[in-house]
Amino acid sequence: MILAIEDLTVSHGEKIIVDKVSLTIDKGEWFALVGQSGSGKTMLSQAVGQLLGPNLKASGRVMYEGDNVLEHPKEKMNQLRGKAISYIFQDYHGSFTPFLTIQQHMEEYLQTHSVQKAQRKEMIREALESVGLDASFAKRYSFQLSGGQLQRASIALALLLEPDILIADEATTALDSVSAHRILSLLQELQQKTGCAILFITHDWRHVVRYSDKIAVMKDGKIIESGTKQKLVHQPEHAYTKQLIQAAPTLPMRVMEVSKS
Amino acid sequence: MTVIEIHNLKKSYNPGKLAVNDVSLSIQKGESLGLVGESGCGKSTLAHCLLGVEKMDAGSIVYNEEPIAHANRKQLRNYRRNVQTVFQNPTASLNPKLKIRDSLLDPYLQFKDDLQLKHFHFTSKQDFVQQLLETVELPKGLADRYPHELSGGQKQRVTIARAISIEPKLIVLDEPTASLDVLSQGAILELLGSLQQTLGMSYLFISHDLAAVYQLCQRIAVMKDGELLDVFRKEEIYDSNRHDYTKELIDIF
Amino acid sequence: MSVLALSQKRIKKAKVWLISIILLIVLAAVAYTFLYLKHDANMTDVGNRLASPTQAHPLGTDHLGRDVLTRLLLGFRLTVGYSLIALAAAVIIGVPFGLIAGLRGGWIDRLFMRIADGFLAFPDTVIAIVLSGLLGPGIGNLLFAIVLVKWVNYARMVRSTVLTEVRKDYVTIARINGLSTFTIMRKHLLPHIIGNVLVLASLDFGKIILLISSLSYIGLGAQPPTPEWGAMLNESRPYFQANPEMMVYPGLAIVAVVLVANVLGDYLRDKFDVKKEVQP
Repeated sequence: MILAIEDLTVSHGEKIIVDKVSLTIDKGEWFALVGQSGSGKTMLSQAVGQLLGPNLKASGRVMYEGDNVLEHPKEKMNQLRGKAISYIFQDYHGSFTPFLTIQQHMEEYLQTHSVQKAQRKEMIREALESVGLDASFAKRYSFQLSGGQLQRASIALALLLEPDILIADEATTALDSVSAHRILSLLQELQQKTGCAILFITHDWRHVVRYSDKIAVMKDGKIIESGTKQKLVHQPEHAYTKQLIQAAPTLPMRVMEVSKS
Repeated sequence: MTVIEIHNLKKSYNPGKLAVNDVSLSIQKGESLGLVGESGCGKSTLAHCLLGVEKMDAGSIVYNEEPIAHANRKQLRNYRRNVQTVFQNPTASLNPKLKIRDSLLDPYLQFKDDLQLKHFHFTSKQDFVQQLLETVELPKGLADRYPHELSGGQKQRVTIARAISIEPKLIVLDEPTASLDVLSQGAILELLGSLQQTLGMSYLFISHDLAAVYQLCQRIAVMKDGELLDVFRKEEIYDSNRHDYTKELIDIF
Repeated sequence: MSVLALSQKRIKKAKVWLISIILLIVLAAVAYTFLYLKHDANMTDVGNRLASPTQAHPLGTDHLGRDVLTRLLLGFRLTVGYSLIALAAAVIIGVPFGLIAGLRGGWIDRLFMRIADGFLAFPDTVIAIVLSGLLGPGIGNLLFAIVLVKWVNYARMVRSTVLTEVRKDYVTIARINGLSTFTIMRKHLLPHIIGNVLVLASLDFGKIILLISSLSYIGLGAQPPTPEWGAMLNESRPYFQANPEMMVYPGLAIVAVVLVANVLGDYLRDKFDVKKEVQP
């Protein structure tokens, strides 16, 4: 077990957005959190890294290496983000400022986590290479990259310090399905190489079926069903889970494959 | 019977790079043709040329055995009346300052003089709007609402209702489900399918989602980098002579 | 509901009360001018100059023995009337210009933008002073100057609204349907413009009253003996120490009308924002 969320509640004033959610993520596992927009899945993921806005309040426990992350002071949390927990977001344009090159972004990131200057360059080169971008991309600005390339760059950035958990919040939603697929198989490959766990937040059931090990379905701030992929795909219990499976169009072959396995 | 034919269409934005390179397609009456490809493959440009939003550089679009480039005012009006559209972003497709009823009536009021509707009956604006809302399974009370009061799925239903309101022969659907959440996506696909059953129009369904296209369409065309690579009937999707890129797409879904 | 939202609601309520009370006073006063105006605004009575309030002269008389209330009320008609005329002219010229520049683009747009830039380089008051200085003092010239200064604001605002809206899909769809440019303007663009224009106009209304009054005060606008409020202020300047109330009355009148105009502007802005009901 690498991360345990226990009774996590996120509220906005009187309104409860995430309602006493508990889940555990094991080392090197691909954990998918599925739900529609407004189900509270993004709030949950942001609470883990203390990224919630000032008018949102998180209570409960998020246990990492025996400590409750929610109680960490700001400085300690800053150290933890990137090294232990890192994020990639749906809005890949928003993840980069247009005034810095990809290299400068990464330099800054490494500097914040006090990596020696001598090592930085090599680390950046390796990171870009690992996501299939050649060294020339380091000198470019974010707006000179396509959506897929930019999301690759943000994966490179997120994995730079080899975190234990990568939280991917709708990371492929803004991409077309072909680019999305390429990004996801890249993530899978990198996960096998680095052994980091992935908390994968999505609304697309098809991505879940293909890549995840464990699945939790979230609705109205609560987890209504969770378990291994085998169980949720073949014997979904909750009506809402069945609805989600039904709604995603699939090719007939995929249906055959699933029923065979 | 062929509704529309596209012959050797070419369009480029930057000199030296064709956004659409020599694409020919035809759509039959009552058929839905899916056009699949990644973003930037030229599928939306093709749609824009078809809708007259963009001027094509070369090629022709033939409607009613008449190239629309040579069409007179009346023929052009007839073309517009018969080719309607639904875009990706329902929020942008509805004027935020107009009530749903006024947005819905836009095409009808524009073409009312040359309409002979078979499915809908116009007795009053009120009644017509109710028929439309009912057809797309929306509550009647929405007529007097503003777009921001509706969910994304509901707004997309309104834009669909607007497109079918004058019973066109063809609807160009440009990624109509891409900006909706999963449950609405499925519902919209189902709605589009059943509307085609009742109204009998043709669709050009543009999407990057091969599975969605497969669900709705009888024929599928695949585009990449501005070129049309493959056109096949739905049943032929697993045939061995499919283009390699098509196979790659199939593998994703 | 948060404390902030609550207090905002209270302010809103207070504003509505304020606007109603002032409007009531103004209406009563206007009714009075039409029904019971007993004095000629320009009738002098030097024997009875600078008199204190009496039954016959509720606000006393000025330095020439003229009835202050009568002049104040006629001044209301003049000041408000002048600024309404200037405002209407600015809107009538500015809105079509903005629509055409935004929809047509090209050289029309570029030419128009350069002219607008030229006007915007100087503050309104400075241009108005220069123009009415060049054309000679007088209310007609002053109004001309104000229109010349103000129409640019409307044209620019309309143009920028048009430019943002025409790019949206709903206008594209209207074009695909073959709606004429005029119909698109009328049905789709005007609802976006009308609210903004009304809000800007009601805020401008106050500004124009101030402009007319201040230019009349320095002698460039309405000329004596016209009972315009700025001119009245100017005339009563020499008697400020002995009879300060002569300046207070027109001053208060200006403040009240400008205040009403601003509150009205706020109210209209809320009213035309159809999204105001939605809470995230």
